[in-house]
Amino acid sequence: MQTQSKPILLFNDECGVCRRIAHWVQKSAQSTSGETSIIERPIGSDPEALRALNPDLDIWDAYATIHVLMPDGSMKLGGEAVAEVLRNLPNTKWFTWSFAVSMFGFRPFQMILNVAYAILADVRPLFGCESCGTPPFWVKPIWWTIKRVKAIFGISIHPSPTPHFTPLSTTGR
Amino acid sequence: MKAHAQLNETPENPTENPQDTAKRHVASDAIRTVTSGTFNTLVLEGEGPMAVEFMSYGCEHCRAIEPVLQQVAVKVKSKENIFRVNVAIEQELAGSYGIQGTPTFVMFLNGREVGRDEGPHPTVSSVMKVVTQPFEI
Repeated sequence: MQTQSKPILLFNDECGVCRRIAHWVQKSAQSTSGETSIIERPIGSDPEALRALNPDLDIWDAYATIHVLMPDGSMKLGGEAVAEVLRNLPNTKWFTWSFAVSMFGFRPFQMILNVAYAILADVRPLFGCESCGTPPFWVKPIWWTIKRVKAIFGISIHPSPTPHFTPLSTTGR
Repeated sequence: MKAHAQLNETPENPTENPQDTAKRHVASDAIRTVTSGTFNTLVLEGEGPMAVEFMSYGCEHCRAIEPVLQQVAVKVKSKENIFRVNVAIEQELAGSYGIQGTPTFVMFLNGREVGRDEGPHPTVSSVMKVVTQPFEI
């Protein structure tokens, strides 16, 4: 297992939303001296390369949810990973103490972040995720409406021949 | 040729979480990955029916079908080989077979394409039908 002195953020390079967020993190993580507080790495397409980073890291899981690989060999996922990223950014670390606040065994601010991450992950297809496939059921009505509105204004839509198929022209290769 | 006459299809386990299934199969991958370097030897010159899934790890539909395909691969193991081609790496190979998207299944027999299917429904019965039907007369 490769070891790093800084956390590694794995991001989905086949998703436009994820690329934009990763770009923002990259910019925010750089100090004035040019040092970065968090390392970013696209998930890519090599399962073995990922296992070299952490033997427990599965490429399918990496694409399913955000992962941050910690220097101690542990992994943070989902909302916990987002909190870790925010902790490592100079502009956002000031409020990240709130994620550790515990009340009656619950961490309310962390729970809000977890829900926010889950919602963002679900709505990614609306904002340009080329590889996210069909949105979950609760997003479908919004997705359908956007498609219809785009069609009215003449914005081309490339329909998939089946609902379980991702056309290559939109996978961001 | 009736390559799959004896295959007994069983319904999917409704109580099993697909993600658990996917994780369970990480250790024992029933699907071999082929590259442009090994495609000819393993698929085109290989003996018996072959099914090749053109996929990408970043494709949500490929992730949905992965645990199902693992189950199918185990069931057809004695009669058919199932391979995967990662189109994110093997773009030229995917292009040479006119792959328009993922997942696309292309079935081969004696080096000849005998069938293909794009984006099958991610259930054992659908995928089983896709990878076995082209070999049945």
